[in-house]
Amino acid sequence: MTILLKMENLERHYETPAGIVKALDGVTFEIKQGERVILLGPSGSGKTTLLNCLSSLDSPTSGNYTFKDKQVPRNHSEKMTSFRRENIGYVFQFFNLLQDLTVLENILLIQELSGKKDHARALELLKLVGLEAEVDRFPGEISGGQQQRVAIARSIAKRPNLLLGDELTGNLDTETSQKVMTALVRACKEENITSVFVTHDEGLVRYATRVIRIDSGKIVSDESVNSEVE
Amino acid sequence: MSALLNKRLARSLWRTKLRLFAVIFMVSVGVFAGLTFGGYSHNLDSMYETMHKDDDTGANLADLWIDNRTTTWSANQVADFCDNLESSWNYEEFSLDSCEGRNIIPGAMFFDNNGNEEIINSLWHSISEDSNADRIWMPEGHADGRLAITADEIVIDAHVMEPLDLEIGDNVTIGAGSSSADFTIVGYGFHPVHVFMAPEGTAFPPEAGEYVVGYLSQLGMARLTGEEIGSSNTILLDVEGTPSFDFPDTNEYEGEEIDVIKSMVDESLNVSELDARVRDRGQNEQVEIMRQDLEASKRMATPFTIMIAAIASITIILSLQRLVQSQAKEIAVLRTLGVKRQSLLTGYLYTPIIIGSIGCILGCLMGPFGMNGMLDFYQQIIGVPIIVRDIPFSLYAAVVVPTMIVVLLSGIFPALKASRLDPLEVLSGKNEMRVGSKTLKKLTSWMPTTLGLSVRSSVRKPIRLTMTFVAVGISLMLFGSIQMMSAGIEDTLVGGIEDDQRWDAQVYVGTDGEFAVLDWAENYSAEAELLIEMPVGSVTDPDEIERIFTVIGLDTYSQGMRSVNLLDGNKPTLEGDIPQVMMDEGSLIFLNWEVNDIQTVTVNGVSQEVEIVGSTRGEFIRTMYFLRTDLTQITGVNATSVYLSLPEGVEVNTELGEISVGIVERQSLIDGIESLIEQQTQIFQAIMYLGLLFTIAVMLNTMIMNVAERDFELATLRVLGASTKRLGGMLLFESLLIGIIGGIVGVAFAYGGAIGLAASFSSWQFYVPIVVVPSVAYQLMGGVIIIAIAMTPIGIWRLRRMDLVEKVKDLSQ
Repeated sequence: MTILLKMENLERHYETPAGIVKALDGVTFEIKQGERVILLGPSGSGKTTLLNCLSSLDSPTSGNYTFKDKQVPRNHSEKMTSFRRENIGYVFQFFNLLQDLTVLENILLIQELSGKKDHARALELLKLVGLEAEVDRFPGEISGGQQQRVAIARSIAKRPNLLLGDELTGNLDTETSQKVMTALVRACKEENITSVFVTHDEGLVRYATRVIRIDSGKIVSDESVNSEVE
Repeated sequence: MSALLNKRLARSLWRTKLRLFAVIFMVSVGVFAGLTFGGYSHNLDSMYETMHKDDDTGANLADLWIDNRTTTWSANQVADFCDNLESSWNYEEFSLDSCEGRNIIPGAMFFDNNGNEEIINSLWHSISEDSNADRIWMPEGHADGRLAITADEIVIDAHVMEPLDLEIGDNVTIGAGSSSADFTIVGYGFHPVHVFMAPEGTAFPPEAGEYVVGYLSQLGMARLTGEEIGSSNTILLDVEGTPSFDFPDTNEYEGEEIDVIKSMVDESLNVSELDARVRDRGQNEQVEIMRQDLEASKRMATPFTIMIAAIASITIILSLQRLVQSQAKEIAVLRTLGVKRQSLLTGYLYTPIIIGSIGCILGCLMGPFGMNGMLDFYQQIIGVPIIVRDIPFSLYAAVVVPTMIVVLLSGIFPALKASRLDPLEVLSGKNEMRVGSKTLKKLTSWMPTTLGLSVRSSVRKPIRLTMTFVAVGISLMLFGSIQMMSAGIEDTLVGGIEDDQRWDAQVYVGTDGEFAVLDWAENYSAEAELLIEMPVGSVTDPDEIERIFTVIGLDTYSQGMRSVNLLDGNKPTLEGDIPQVMMDEGSLIFLNWEVNDIQTVTVNGVSQEVEIVGSTRGEFIRTMYFLRTDLTQITGVNATSVYLSLPEGVEVNTELGEISVGIVERQSLIDGIESLIEQQTQIFQAIMYLGLLFTIAVMLNTMIMNVAERDFELATLRVLGASTKRLGGMLLFESLLIGIIGGIVGVAFAYGGAIGLAASFSSWQFYVPIVVVPSVAYQLMGGVIIIAIAMTPIGIWRLRRMDLVEKVKDLSQ
């Protein structure tokens, strides 16, 4: 498998009144195309900071981050936005669907913003996540689990190279979480999308092909696992 | 009640200090505007009271003017009339205070303007030292010098001293008819009849310095005219107190008290064998114009204050609601922690009280400055000092109490609503969950999704948006209605004179004086046209009130120097037995008359049937147009003035000045009208700019709220890779949409306001037609759109400085 991204000795420091906090302290790893990575760690371990650096929402203080062998832009808002637009899909814990747009329109909007409007594909993605009957409904008219599946369809609508998610089942019950994750794995496999999800839910490990554990800004373990859901 | 809870609230509100200050600012602006306009209206009342006062400090405005400008009475004739009146006086409620003769004659001032001799249209009064009524008012600090005593002294009206660069001690040459003499200026002051600085019968004062009024001693007048000392053409009557007189701009008749005195005067005139016109304060144009101007200024203050209060209230309600609503989550957290609703609400009760109090105090502190500014402005335009200035406590209370109620209600309701929310719903964000509109979905489904989202986002809060449009509409009503009305008046009046008239000078003449002017015209190869123009028409209106109008007689309304803007019907011809006339649209509306009606009017005391064959537009005052032949037959007057069209190189000269009783040049008239309209507009300029400021503030407030409320939405799109440019485009479209709708609403409001203003200004004396000048409507609409679009950079600026890492944290919590 080809290497999609590589982080070397990445550090992210924050200045606080109490002194400098090292949210990431020399993180080094690489992710290959098609991997499904789960980032596990306790609160304050640095996993969200790592996700922010991966998505280029945040710029590391030092270290090297390459994506498809190219340096990822840092400290330049428009270039970072452009990188996200071209490469990254994002799923939020609280779905953040646009309430004034229908399920289908939420997907079309993202395609439109990235210049890849494709009505048929949007419908196809909704079918993939099992929501073909809900295309014309507003987010307020469907359940939380369904909303999260729309969010997943939205995030992969533009065929991102990397799909990121932060506690994406944190707001769902166990049964709905399973449905959402199943839909997600299916979508990633179908679309050949690499994914990295942050969670503290050990139960999600079964959906991953690789688990990275992080604590105090350092990687404490990094192991490949056999996904139970294929 | 917990001090800690209140401390939390204070700190929490401080975090959104920009919004907090915006609310305080709007409260203070509302109070400031209320006090400014309220104080302005209150103090305008005292302006003429101070001037007209019957004591040593005032000028003692006469109660009746008895005059005949075509004759001169000897001192004995005047004394005889006054004796007759005094002996026949039988009105117990009002005793006769004084009866005195004056000579008031038109003339000219020969003024050397840097080597060029100018003839300035003038009016000369004889006022003796011991006169009682219509004295010269010389308030300290605003006038100087003393009254004219000797035969070569003159007091000049304070309105013209500065424009003509005159000083006490200067010598001036003045004329009346064919005689002229030199006089020394010994003082300057104001006259209660000449606040409106325009020749009698003229609705438009010429530019400052182009009409002079001077006050001579009786000796001086005799020296100027060559008549005997004490000769008069006017008798002034003053009674103790002020008998009621009819206000021509009302539908009721109020002149019962003065009518009793007038009938005694008529009897005495008969006994003394004098022919004269008798006018009360309501019939003295010069006085009445200013009273109506003052009333209009006062009248406008109330609706303008209400409009400003409405805009301020809407903005306060919207902002304060948003301020408190943004606390919903914190309220929910506190409720979850077990804090009683009552304890929470106490703090939210204090918040509007404190915000309102600070705003009110600031507004109260600024109010007197605003009021003085407005009064200074009016003083500068009218040229008469406003000496007494105060704001009564009742006005402070009338402004502050309603403001505090609005602030209190708009603060408490959202807090009450927030405290009733289920904490779980707030904390889970379910309270913010809503279902989009199906109708909007249908309407916008054909659009690109980004534009559809913009449209749907714009109308997401329909109540707020409606309130915004109402506030913008009212703001533009303040700004645009005055502009629309002024533009309409200018278009009608000035356009009429510029397009329909081609004379260069109107030369006023005495009896048979037209022949000398015709000779002058022949000598200088000028084209001449005789006309009759006299304010001697009268008619009884549907409310049984006698209304005066001007009659004009011209030989032709087609090929002559003056045409008319014919709205309906035809121009008069000499066909038939009944004289054909045209009448201005204002007269026809007030009288409920129509074209083709045959009506009976009184012209110069003669009852006359006329056939109305046409209606005209372009007259500020009520006018009936005759053919001169018909009017001469009715009045016995051949001409009152001559229109001259001067060939190139020929100008009005001293020779012409000496054979006339006044000259008005067309360009001066146009300049005068333009200047008057500009002055009238200037009075409201402060209001106009306040309206514009409000439009900006209201739009800014709503746009910022819209953008602020969409932080999550915009942050989501940014995280998902939407560029600032694309999102900026969305915001721009949204602004444009709001701007276009706001502009249409604004123009509609401004038009409605202009109709209301015109109706409130229109009276029998002055009819204001509403003519929509499209350029004004376009300007207003363009203005709103520009303001709306100008807000887009603020949204983009917010987008750019958005900390996405923080936003993602928010999005994940």
